[in-house]
Amino acid sequence: MLMRIPFSDMFMTSPFEGIQEHAEKVKECSWVFQQAIECHFSPRCTTFEEFRDEVARLESEADAIKRRIRGHIPKRTMTPVSTFLIFRYLKQQDGVLDAVEDTLDWISYRRKTKIPEALEKDFALLVNAVIDPIEKLTSMVSEARQYFKSYSEKQRVVVKNIIHELHRQEREVDKFEYDIKKKLFNLDIDAVSIMYLVRLAEIIGSIADHAQNAGDMMRAMLSK
Amino acid sequence: MPQELFVLIFGYIFGFYMAWNIGANDVANSMAPVVGAKAVTIRQAVFIAVILNVVGAVFIGSHVTNTIRKGIVSTDILGDPHLVLIGALSAILAASLWVNLATWKSLPVSTTHSIVGAMIGFGIVAGGFSVINWVKLGAVVMSWIISPLFSLAISFFLFKIILRLILSKKNTLIWALKLSPFFIGSTVFIVVLSFLFKTPLGKNLSVQGPVALILAFIIALIVGFAGMKVLKRLVKESTPNGAEEIFRFIQIGTACYVALAQGANDVANAIGPLAVIYFLVKTGTVGATVPVPVFLLLFGGVGIACGISMAGHRVMDTMGKKITALSNTRGFAVNFATATTVLVASKMGLPVSTTHAAVGGVMGIGLARGVEAVNLSIVYRIMLYWVLTVPVAAVTSMVIFKILLFIL
Repeated sequence: MLMRIPFSDMFMTSPFEGIQEHAEKVKECSWVFQQAIECHFSPRCTTFEEFRDEVARLESEADAIKRRIRGHIPKRTMTPVSTFLIFRYLKQQDGVLDAVEDTLDWISYRRKTKIPEALEKDFALLVNAVIDPIEKLTSMVSEARQYFKSYSEKQRVVVKNIIHELHRQEREVDKFEYDIKKKLFNLDIDAVSIMYLVRLAEIIGSIADHAQNAGDMMRAMLSK
Repeated sequence: MPQELFVLIFGYIFGFYMAWNIGANDVANSMAPVVGAKAVTIRQAVFIAVILNVVGAVFIGSHVTNTIRKGIVSTDILGDPHLVLIGALSAILAASLWVNLATWKSLPVSTTHSIVGAMIGFGIVAGGFSVINWVKLGAVVMSWIISPLFSLAISFFLFKIILRLILSKKNTLIWALKLSPFFIGSTVFIVVLSFLFKTPLGKNLSVQGPVALILAFIIALIVGFAGMKVLKRLVKESTPNGAEEIFRFIQIGTACYVALAQGANDVANAIGPLAVIYFLVKTGTVGATVPVPVFLLLFGGVGIACGISMAGHRVMDTMGKKITALSNTRGFAVNFATATTVLVASKMGLPVSTTHAAVGGVMGIGLARGVEAVNLSIVYRIMLYWVLTVPVAAVTSMVIFKILLFIL
């Protein structure tokens, strides 16, 4: 186009735009993840692999967004927070996705080991507990963007409350994970299954860890 | 004489082209904060810019132009009218050429500085390097650095003040209303001062020095508090983003001022060389300053208006979409910084570009962490072209001068 617009050339697409988009993908992934796990728990599950493929597809889409964000912040960019923090945050948000994918991969290695009946409820609780913090990420990002627009103390508190909530939910997940492990060793099942289930509980638990870490990075961005 | 008539016709064509370019690009650039902040629609922005640029050009634009801009080139070279005639034509041709190239390649150059550079080139080729007043030229170079920095500092501190005193409060609307007389008042203060100091209209009133300051202060005080009363009615208690809404109205005022100032400033620049040609053809002589007839100012104003309405719409549309990050509070800070910088710089006799001041203003907001992403590497590119503009326009002007001298 034939125009000289030095003024608007200064404005570039905000990295937060991409981070929000990435968070939406993570959220979408969490729903598919939940369906996959529920399918695996049910006695007649035929669509697990389809869900796993769907998660893999979403993960690669999120990866593309991540690369786009990283590739589009030149060194000399003025942002409300340092670009270093933005990248660190993105890494944690991406970690949530990786942990989700790892969980499904882990399940696929040993489909024949079903969840013991005694632990079915505990695993359901654990999975539900990690979905909540994932869903929180999108609202945290959009509220944080609001804060960077207004810099109002009220808005800062809103974001901080979400971060506290992430911490609380992570502790809850830890508790469920602990319960599962404790019960596992009192069950009469083979050693390989115990190892498999312990690791499964740990990977699912790590999803919430990454969400919490993302919250911590956000907290660092909020510091005055 | 047919030859002089020929020069005059070319002068008109390229003078119009320069004015058109200012309208299409420079005006759209300085109107960008208002469009981006959605204080006005593009249609309204075009309307405001057209009307106020013509008004600014005709009623408050300079009615006298320095033959060679701002005394950078000594007037010794003005002895031979034939040389001056060709010189003015080559200057306007060179500036048009450079601006045209810049627009084609999307280079961020200033139309004002292109003309300054072209006039310098003509001065050098007509009288040698000795006619250049290097101190004056140095001041111009300094203004490239100082005017954006000045604008940057103003917008930075202004936004910090808005942040500290309004945005970080619990009820932003109440605080924005309380402080609105200050913001409206400062804007009005600057506007009144620039009218009194800069315009022929103001000079006719012959209000000077402290009297002008006091007068401006009183008017600012009255308008500021009246503005608060009006805002109280306009903005409802329940508006979710109260402070931004208040600044939306204040910003419309500052945008009008920017448009008016641009008309007053830039038209005289675009029309300067044409005025010299016109005067020469009419009287056969030329002095250090040349009167600019009102119809020439109107001609320039219409040229700018054509540029805005024909191409400015598209430029503003592109920009409006790109700079949505600039909310009303930020846009106000940028506009205020721009207008103030233009006033102070032109009071000091520096040929300042409105666009440069606006770019500095945006950087100030970026430094104050007010925008999600500002690209600093673009700023380096912009600065490169600021520095390049004058020598390139000068050399082009010299070449064209030699060619024209050969032909005519």
